[in-house]
Amino acid sequence: MKRRSPYSLSPVPRGEGGWLRVCLIGFALCATLPSTGCTSKAERAAEQAVQAYFAGDPARAVEQLKPLAQKTDQNFVLNNARLGSAALIQYDLDQAEAGFLRAYEVINSFGVNSGGRSLGAILVDEKIRVWRGEPFERAMLNFYLGLVYYMRHDYANARGAFENALFKLRDYADNADRKNADYKEVESNFALAAIMLGKSWQRLGRDDLARAAFARVTQMRPSLAPLADYDRNLRSNLLLVVDFGYGPRKVADFDGAISGFAPEPHQEGMIPLPQVSIDGRYVDVLGINQPPVDLLALAQDRRWQSIDTIRTMKSVAGTGLISGGAYEATRRRGNDGTALALIAAGVLLKATSQADVRQWEMLPRTVFLLPLEVTPGRHDITVDFPHAPGLRQTWRGLEVPAQGEATYYFRMQRWNNGPFDWPPPAVAQAQAAP
Amino acid sequence: MNADQKGRRQLLLLTLDHLRSSAFICGLIFLLCGCTSAVRSGRSTALDSVDLVRMTDDMVQKIVASPEVQAAIAREGKLAVVVQPVENRMVAEVLPRGPAQAFTARVRVLLSRHAPDRFTWVMNRDAFYELRARETDIDLGPPPERVQPRYALTSIFSSLTKEDAKRRSAYYLCEYQLTDLSGGNLLWSGSYEVKKTAVRKFLD
Repeated sequence: MKRRSPYSLSPVPRGEGGWLRVCLIGFALCATLPSTGCTSKAERAAEQAVQAYFAGDPARAVEQLKPLAQKTDQNFVLNNARLGSAALIQYDLDQAEAGFLRAYEVINSFGVNSGGRSLGAILVDEKIRVWRGEPFERAMLNFYLGLVYYMRHDYANARGAFENALFKLRDYADNADRKNADYKEVESNFALAAIMLGKSWQRLGRDDLARAAFARVTQMRPSLAPLADYDRNLRSNLLLVVDFGYGPRKVADFDGAISGFAPEPHQEGMIPLPQVSIDGRYVDVLGINQPPVDLLALAQDRRWQSIDTIRTMKSVAGTGLISGGAYEATRRRGNDGTALALIAAGVLLKATSQADVRQWEMLPRTVFLLPLEVTPGRHDITVDFPHAPGLRQTWRGLEVPAQGEATYYFRMQRWNNGPFDWPPPAVAQAQAAP
Repeated sequence: MNADQKGRRQLLLLTLDHLRSSAFICGLIFLLCGCTSAVRSGRSTALDSVDLVRMTDDMVQKIVASPEVQAAIAREGKLAVVVQPVENRMVAEVLPRGPAQAFTARVRVLLSRHAPDRFTWVMNRDAFYELRARETDIDLGPPPERVQPRYALTSIFSSLTKEDAKRRSAYYLCEYQLTDLSGGNLLWSGSYEVKKTAVRKFLD
């Protein structure tokens, strides 16, 4: 019997080259599984920083993120957003502002991914493109930038950032469908920035615009009327900004080509409401302790992008090619070369059709705004959640002014209860500087 | 050459062809993707360094040429002026402290250079102590308490900003004013206007 060359392109009769066929079919089956991908050294360092943040060690997170935030690569915006979040917990407002501002500048620019990055994202890997976040992430970045300015009493810049936060969700609504009144719905979901915009106008002495902003919040979300009350905010000399829970996680389907956000709000249940005690006594926060936003809900409105279509088509085509290759390998008069080429092309398409699941992990599920009127002086303040046992945070010696409004940021984490002493090191250092 | 050898040669040539084209594609992709920075390619509607130079050059020329300013100098001698950072009234725009100071500081620097005999510059108190804290080599001049400024150079930046699914556009009005601090009279005012548009592209 004549031995067939392994390089032969001629059709292989059934029963010959069995090992090759088994390999091809096995390879084809494996290729349909999602690729695990590989991470760079910088990405691993960023992951460690995120882990440090979740482990209640924001100082380590800041140190690890500082060098990464300087690299103007595809993760530039993401790492600066992460740095801002970690620095904000430490009240390192200079660092937080710098991080958020760098991210803000790229987010506000268009054409960041023009040319090679777009082509690379389509042909090679979507992660090649510069991460600019989903609309809700962009809005939150502007919110935190505004918060930093608000904490510094730089109300003009705070106002600008909060307005821009609303813009980021406005363009989101435009894309959805204006005719369905999505614009109003999405903006009402982001009442968080609208309230802070009203407060900023109030501090800038523009009562007319402040009233208009608060009225808009009340009109869109009547349950937030006590929080958007003009007089309450005018009297407030203490604003507690409380980040609760964790934001949505970006996940890919089994195939890895289609991404979405999880969990859905109903899977996580209702958002528990906070209580506040000052010097051991509970204060009345009924009505104002409503969550102005639920990012889990906001994320579900993720807009479908052109690249999602391209990625999905690539994945489907890849699966088709692999299946075709597998069929060719099993066919009675199949051609090994053709089978191999089909499978290889399919694998290549599948490997380059993986969804980009990068996200700003530090985002909370919601941000509570608690404007309070407190006797000026130093106070021990605790924020706790009776319906989320173990979740509380205490700060000792928080300064409350007679004039104006002091703003304090609480990031609720189970292992971050405190008590913490005011001022934290970053603030003490800033105060000690001449 | 038998059929096996022909087939082997054919496969080899085919493989080489594939490798060549694959290498070319990979090379092209790396060439295109590998070198763009996240901060270089984008275009925004924010005021930038080009605006800073144009605007401040224009303002300096207008201040120096102003008959009112010339008359005040003839009447009072060198004008003692304090410079304030820009007041941000722009819609949905942030102007951090550094740029806010730069937009008026450059006017001061240009006037100090081109008309040193007509103005005495009194540094803004916050900026003075901030710079002194940094122990820079810049000659900061006398502390603000020692020289009483008669005039203030202020600036207000306003904008009309729109953003939709296709583009973001901003029309800026940047006003500069030289105000008499004693009476609140406006000695001089000038403005710079610019409109900027940034269009969304694929993956924006």
